[in-house]
Amino acid sequence: MVHVLSEIRRVLAPDGILIDLRPLADNWRVEVVSLREVKRTGRVEDLPEQINGDVASNETMLDVEKRGWFKREQEELFPFFYSWDTPSEMEEFVDDDWKDFVGLAEDTRQATRSAWAVADADGRVRVRVEVMIARWRKAITNLENVE
Amino acid sequence: MSLQKDPDRREIKFLHKFVDLTDKRVLEIGCGEGRLTWQYAARTRQTTAADLDVNALRVARMDNPSDLEDKIYFTCANSEYLPFAKEKFDIAILAWSL
Repeated sequence: MVHVLSEIRRVLAPDGILIDLRPLADNWRVEVVSLREVKRTGRVEDLPEQINGDVASNETMLDVEKRGWFKREQEELFPFFYSWDTPSEMEEFVDDDWKDFVGLAEDTRQATRSAWAVADADGRVRVRVEVMIARWRKAITNLENVE
Repeated sequence: MSLQKDPDRREIKFLHKFVDLTDKRVLEIGCGEGRLTWQYAARTRQTTAADLDVNALRVARMDNPSDLEDKIYFTCANSEYLPFAKEKFDIAILAWSL
């Protein structure tokens, strides 16, 4: 991963900006939502690959900051929603597309189906993914200052 | 499938809050099918959108809006060996790809 940051640094102009945008493991919330209400029905379960991936990415950014390649300027978290018409579509997506990263316990599946079944006609199912955005500025190293 | 990703468009709002892309040379790494790319590329000088997934890139090229054809260059590239000259971009976006 450090090599990726090295390449980005190379192709960035002096004073260039790097935006790091990525989801963070946080046992994302599962909800049934309609115009009238939001009902929480459980959380997904983070799998080791998801957690280890976050740790590795964070360590990489700390590493490049220590090397003086980039300087962190701003960071924030925001919710990013994945939304489906029905619980079964949500379950299919989680089981297929996210199978390496998160799991969905049976009690959460049941609670979501039950809540959706009695929700208003516009009821949908969604997962609230926690996303981080950070702005980094390309730093001039001491060696470059000398040059 | 009825999947909607980010129906409130929070991601693009935060991106604009964090960086001014106007008339900038932008490199997006991990563009996938171009979901985020299309939302900001119009205001850039030039956007290079890279991914290793050739199937996703095929979709991105097919669905690329005609008014953005001159703005976006989709390319298959390994982020560990970026095939671009030194200091070519003003802004790099790691889009869900670190």
